[in-house]
Amino acid sequence: MEVKVLFFASMRDRAGLREAKLELPQSASVKDLKLKLVKQFPGLQEAMSSILVAVNREFAFDDLLIPDGAEIAVFPPVSGG
Amino acid sequence: MSDLSHPTFYSITTEAIDLNELIERISLPTSGAACFFTGMVRGITTRDEARTTSFLEYEAYQPMAEQKMRQVADEIRLRWPSVQGIAIIQRIGRLDPGTPTVLIACSAAHRDTGVFEAARYGIDRLKEIVPVWKREVSPDGQEWIEGSYIPGHQD
Repeated sequence: MEVKVLFFASMRDRAGLREAKLELPQSASVKDLKLKLVKQFPGLQEAMSSILVAVNREFAFDDLLIPDGAEIAVFPPVSGG
Repeated sequence: MSDLSHPTFYSITTEAIDLNELIERISLPTSGAACFFTGMVRGITTRDEARTTSFLEYEAYQPMAEQKMRQVADEIRLRWPSVQGIAIIQRIGRLDPGTPTVLIACSAAHRDTGVFEAARYGIDRLKEIVPVWKREVSPDGQEWIEGSYIPGHQD
């Protein structure tokens, strides 16, 4: 299945782009996604422990299964205000 | 966006934050108090790591940020049912020292019904779960500022 991945703030700098289409196996989990991301974008490797993932605009955790066509966002801990 | 007795406004904007407009928007005929919290760009930091800031550059994951602002407003209403109006605004883009960057405002009939605590809760939660980031530019260079809060299933 194909998903859209958006990168924000320092994770965008690390990945080197704002947006990517990623091919994932059916019923891939957020953990699978993270492994695929660091393989494809090695710049993310050293920030792995602080990567936050949102799936369809909600925080998502390692065991969540990603639905087909999901909008995924990858970003560091937030710093608004 | 909200029912008439509980006006709720939230937005990510590149425009200046207009306090007078917001006070009108969150006031009811029965309102007698509003607590506004606003944060601005600090040009000179003396606490912790002392430094000078030239400007901050903010960005947001806008659709999720507005959804999370809505969630913060809902959480405020659960905890302080006496709160009448709520406004949550985050400005993004390049913001210079002295510029208001964020605003949380809560109105109620009286000041002793939790509006101070509600606004405090609102800014604290915004800094935990609303996907907005800032990059600090100083005379020495620039760096992303990263928060420390790791969201959990309740967020």
